[in-house]
Amino acid sequence: MTDTRSIQKEFDQLGYVLDEELATILFLTLHLQKPLLLEGPPGVGKTEVANVLAKALDTELIRLQCYEGLDVNAAVYEWNYQKQLLSIKLQEGSKKSEAEKESHIFGEDFLLQRPLLRAITAKKSPVLLIDEIDRADEEFEAFLLELLSAFQISIPEMGTIKATHKPLVILTSNRTRELSDALKRRCLYHWVAYPDLDRELRIVQKHLPELNQQLSENLVRIVQELRERKLNKIPGIAETLDWVNALVALQATQPNADDLARSLGCLLKSADDIEMIKAGGLEELLVPSE
Amino acid sequence: MADYPHFTQYTSVPEAVTAFCQLARDHGLNVGLQENLDALSMAQLAPLQDRVSFGYALKAICCCSEEERAQFDTLYEWFWGWEKGALKAKTIFKNQSNLQKKAPASLVLMGIGNSQEGKEEEAKNVSGANRIERLRKTDFSKIEEIDSELLEEIALKLWKQMSLRLKRKMKASTSKGQLNLRQIIRSSINTGGDPIRLLRKNKKPRKQRLIVLLDVSGSMDKYSFFLLRFICALRVHFEKVEAFLFSTNLIRITEYLSASNLASTLSVLSAKADNWSSGTKIGACFREFNEQHAKRMLNGQSTVIILSDGLDTGEPEELFEEVQKIRRRTKRLIWLNPLKGMRGYEPTQRGMSAALPAVDIFKSAHNLDSILELEKFLLDV
Repeated sequence: MTDTRSIQKEFDQLGYVLDEELATILFLTLHLQKPLLLEGPPGVGKTEVANVLAKALDTELIRLQCYEGLDVNAAVYEWNYQKQLLSIKLQEGSKKSEAEKESHIFGEDFLLQRPLLRAITAKKSPVLLIDEIDRADEEFEAFLLELLSAFQISIPEMGTIKATHKPLVILTSNRTRELSDALKRRCLYHWVAYPDLDRELRIVQKHLPELNQQLSENLVRIVQELRERKLNKIPGIAETLDWVNALVALQATQPNADDLARSLGCLLKSADDIEMIKAGGLEELLVPSE
Repeated sequence: MADYPHFTQYTSVPEAVTAFCQLARDHGLNVGLQENLDALSMAQLAPLQDRVSFGYALKAICCCSEEERAQFDTLYEWFWGWEKGALKAKTIFKNQSNLQKKAPASLVLMGIGNSQEGKEEEAKNVSGANRIERLRKTDFSKIEEIDSELLEEIALKLWKQMSLRLKRKMKASTSKGQLNLRQIIRSSINTGGDPIRLLRKNKKPRKQRLIVLLDVSGSMDKYSFFLLRFICALRVHFEKVEAFLFSTNLIRITEYLSASNLASTLSVLSAKADNWSSGTKIGACFREFNEQHAKRMLNGQSTVIILSDGLDTGEPEELFEEVQKIRRRTKRLIWLNPLKGMRGYEPTQRGMSAALPAVDIFKSAHNLDSILELEKFLLDV
């Protein structure tokens, strides 16, 4: 992956339609070895970027899903307490000094590696995906700072572990809250928006190459129109694909209002939205408006 | 308007890149030394030499939010555009809050255009820390339009810090809760491996409800905008905030506070609150609150904050009775009155003096510092 074109091509082969801007930024991420922060609404393929990147580089993908209350024990490392207790018991009779005992049970054998530690001790640089970082507490962001700038982790009992191979870090956020400036400053930033008609069409064709051109164009146009409405939950690309798949499964080559009504649940995930769109008239959706 | 630099003025690429970084920094983008270095090493990467990718790459380095990206585009066009100064005539918006300020709702709320008197002596253009210090102490009603933008910025920052501090303090207790194996093992080494001292880790205590009642009657016009922003700030960091607006009737606004974009929140609110800037019937509104919401929301552990100047057109007896009712259901009742900040103010209006006996804490809320003082009362909320 020596330039933006080749990145685009590589991603294309793996089924991800990459626009030029994101390709440029990925290229930059690879060369500056800085973490990349992808922000954007849900369902626009942020996580998928990391998946495909790992495949393209033929390396391991290490994923950390963030949630409220995520702490160091679940994200970085934890001591194997049972093993430690056993070991202390076994050493009871021995003549070892306290310091020796302590250094024994805080050795690498007793360390359980969690995703972040695993990422910096890996043999070949992996892709580290820190998913939905906005869900984690602000305190957790602070833990990440050391990792993201110096690629090292401090374990009080053992000292600092430095990365032998820098992982490629991709952070995603749905922007449910603003991330701290300190974290943002350590990352390259890219806003992933909903795809435009042209790109979404290419994505649909990529996934369903046998679908006829006119039908896919029509369906994508409907999705694009729906995104303009005031929905509670705007459908993402995954929903578009689900929906198109559903219509194919229903064998609706010329979808009518009835087919639409039956399959709308693939696209809209809120009862209010479905009701609103149905009230607005499904026939009108099928006819392109000028 | 000052003449902005253009890439043709520089003889080498690194110089131009550095000059652009400076330009971006001057316009409020978060571009420091590290970003500048990144940009320089980026410019040396061979495949990024064409204009388009160069722009994309620079954008990823210089921006860290969606809003900043729009601003970056303007700056980029300006500096790297073919035509020198093509866009010079257009003013660049400095940041998002400026945009929000232009929304009609917020202008209405700020009471701009209502009266201009009384601002001359207070508002001189001083810069730097001095200016910030002064703004924190300036009465909201005497703040000029230009300053209000800065004040909003400071206020959001300080409120955020405040709620973060509050959050941290909440987690201090360690006497009960789940066993903390990590700590136990550590301390058991001293006793030859027998876990004698049991150490525990406590969960964050569940936050109690905070209920805020904001007066939006005409007399509160100058303050209600800032106070509403304060409620929004509280809402971000306290999970259980219930907020109400009242003047002649009561409106629950909790659901609208959740939107992260304040401008849209405000327009929704002003559309909903058709009684904005009208008269005040505090007693009647509180009765409505007691009848419809109090049972559900107040559990004896809640804290209620009333933001009002107490200028009431209803019956004082009714007001006292209703405030008393709220008091009985809460742990603490705080009344913040912007007028209290005025020199020589005494709570002598009928409404205020009637309600006062039922209130636990009576404080002013006329400037930023006075609102920040609230922190100590929110500690155990």
